[in-house]
Amino acid sequence: MKKLFALLLTMAMVLSLAACGGKTEAPADDDKTPSTETEKPADSGKTYKVAMICDSSISDGGWGMACYNAMMDAAEKHGWETTYSDSIDQSAYYDNIVSYCDLGYDLIYAPGNQYTDAVLQAAEEYPDVAFALLNGADSTPAEAVNGNVTSLLPNATQIGWIAGALAGLMTESNTIAFIGGMELDTTKGKYEGYKEAAAYVGAQEGKEVKTLDIVYSNSFSASDKGIEFAKAMMDQGADVFFGDASAVDSGARQAIDEVNAAAGSVKVYDIAQPSDSLGQNECIICSQVTDNSGLVGLSMEAVENGTFGGETIYGTLQNGVLSAGAISELVPAEIAEKYQGYLSQMADDSFMK
Amino acid sequence: MDWEFISNLLLASVRMATPLIFLALAELYSQRAGLVHIGLEGLAAIGSLVGFLVSLITGSPLLGVAAGAAVGILVNMIYAYATINLCAEQIVYGMAINIFAPALASFIYRVYFGAGSELVQVALMRSLAAILGVTPQSFLLKLLLDQPPMVYLAYALVLFTAVYFNRTKSGLNFKAVGEYPKASATLGINVIGVKYAASVICGALAGIGGAYLTTCYATTYTDGNVAGRGFIALAAVIFGRWSAGGVLLACLFFGFCDALQIRLQVGSYGIPYQFFQMIPYIATVVVLALIGMKKAGPKGVGKPYLREER
Repeated sequence: MKKLFALLLTMAMVLSLAACGGKTEAPADDDKTPSTETEKPADSGKTYKVAMICDSSISDGGWGMACYNAMMDAAEKHGWETTYSDSIDQSAYYDNIVSYCDLGYDLIYAPGNQYTDAVLQAAEEYPDVAFALLNGADSTPAEAVNGNVTSLLPNATQIGWIAGALAGLMTESNTIAFIGGMELDTTKGKYEGYKEAAAYVGAQEGKEVKTLDIVYSNSFSASDKGIEFAKAMMDQGADVFFGDASAVDSGARQAIDEVNAAAGSVKVYDIAQPSDSLGQNECIICSQVTDNSGLVGLSMEAVENGTFGGETIYGTLQNGVLSAGAISELVPAEIAEKYQGYLSQMADDSFMK
Repeated sequence: MDWEFISNLLLASVRMATPLIFLALAELYSQRAGLVHIGLEGLAAIGSLVGFLVSLITGSPLLGVAAGAAVGILVNMIYAYATINLCAEQIVYGMAINIFAPALASFIYRVYFGAGSELVQVALMRSLAAILGVTPQSFLLKLLLDQPPMVYLAYALVLFTAVYFNRTKSGLNFKAVGEYPKASATLGINVIGVKYAASVICGALAGIGGAYLTTCYATTYTDGNVAGRGFIALAAVIFGRWSAGGVLLACLFFGFCDALQIRLQVGSYGIPYQFFQMIPYIATVVVLALIGMKKAGPKGVGKPYLREER
C-alpha cells in the first residue's frame, strides 16, 4: 500500500511539473511558405524556437495575454516554434530562462522590465542565445557583456498620453485614477504621461483634471486588489481609470461595472491596454494598443540574419507600434473627434507644444 | 477621515476577511484534531478553480461552492491518508499539497480553456439584498444585507464552531484528540475517525474559501488568486489562540489592515506606498507581542498518532 501511495505521489509531482512547464507549440502552418524574403529563415534547414516567460497569466485579459498573442503572431509569420511559462514567481525567473537556454531555444522573450536582472545573468552565461526584453531599459543592451540582449521599448510616456488625453476629455468629476502592478520604470512613465496629458487636455476644455496618486497592488494576479483599489478610488471621485497591472485591472473593471450597474448608467469608465479590449467590459471606452508582435518579429528577423543584440528597438506612435483602439459608443462623437485630433498631434509631435 | 471613509473601510474589511474566515476555520478543525495543515493555500487554489469552472458550466455559483468543497475534501484525503495512516510528517505533506494543488489547478485551466484564451468571466452569487429586491442605503443595512449568502454562512460557522468545541460532548472529544490522542483512545474515542472527520471538514472549508474568491468576489480566475491567504489563515489561528471567536477577530483584523492599507495608498499624496503595505505585518507583530504565548495550541498537534506505540 505504501508503494502504491508513493507511486501516486510521484505521478502527482510529475503532473505538477507538467503544469508548471508551459506548452510547446509548433508553427501554426508548417507548409505555409513565407510571403516575403525576410520571413524566410536564413538557415532553411533550421526551425527556430522562441520561449516566453511571464509572471502573469497568459489568460489574464490584459498584459500577459497581449504579450503571448504578440509572440504567437510573430512566430506564425516567421515560422518559429513557441513555448511559454506563465504565472511564475520572481524567484523562478532565472531558472525558467536557463531551462529554455539549455533546451536549445534561440530566442528568450521576456515581456517586462522586472526580468532585467535575470535576463542579464542568463545572457552572460549563454552567449549564443538571444534575449529580447520587452520594456527593457535603454541602457540594458549595453550592460550585456556578450551583446546578446535587445530592449524592445514601447514609449511609456506616449502610452500614457494616449489614455490620458481621452481621460481628460471624458472625466466629469475632474478626477481620474491609475492602478499600477509593480513599481517599474515603465509603469511610472505611463502614469506620468497619463497625468500630464489629462491635465493638458482638461485645461484645453476649461477643466482642472486631478490624477490620484499612483497605487501599486504588488501583484499582477490579485484581481481582488483591483476591486478594492477601484472602489476606494471611486470613493475619492475618480471616474476614468487606466492601469498597468494585468489581472488587477480586470478586477478594477469588475468593480466599475458593478457601480455603473447600481447607478443604472455607465458614468465611470476604463481605458484598457495593451490590446484592443473594447467589449470585454461595459466600462471600457477605448484601449491603448501596443503592437508588440511587430517588435518581436523584428527580433526574430535579427536572430535569423545573425544581427541580433546590443540595440534598443523603440515602439512609438510615429512608427505605428502604438495606437488607440476602437472607441466605444459611450464616447460622444464630438469628444471622439477631438480625441482623434489630439492623437494626430501626438503622431506629428506637436502635442502639448 | 470622514464617516464615509470609515464605513467604506469597514465594508471592505468584511469583504476581505470572509475567505480568511473559511480558511482559518479549516485550519482550526484540523489543528484541534492534532493535524497542523500548512497546505491550505493549495486546497484553496484547487477549490477556487473548480468552483469557477462549475459555476461557469452550470451557471450556478452555489454549485460552484459545493464543487469547491468536494474537491477540497478529495485533495485533502492525500494529506489525511499520509499523515494519519502512514504517520508521515505533517509539515512536509502540507507543503506537498501547496505545490501540487495550485499546479493541478493551472493544468486543468489550460486543458479546459487552451492557451491564449480570452478573459473568461462568470456571474457572481447575488447578495441577500439583491435576492430580496431591496437597495440598502445606510451603512448598517449594507453591512447586514448587501453581502452574498456565503458571508452569513462564514459567521454562522464561527458561532457553530464556538458552541461545538465548548458546549458539546462531541466537540470536547474532538479537542481531546488534539490534546492527548492516547488518553482519548483509552476513553473509547475513535481517534482515527476524528482525525479523518477533521480532514474532511478542513478540506471542505478550505475548498469553500477558495471557491468564494471566484463565485462571490472576483468574476475571473487567475493563477495565484489565493495570494497567500492560506498562510495568513494559518497565522490567524495562532493569533486567535485556537478559539473560534479569536479566529474570527484575527481574520477581521487582517481584513481590516489590508483594506486600510489600500485606502491609505489611494489618499497618500506623496507618502511612499511601501509604508502602507507594511501596516498588516507591523500590526501582526505588535499584537502577537502583546498577546504573548500564555495560551498555547493543542498539545498533540503535529505529532503522529501510533496506536500501538507506548
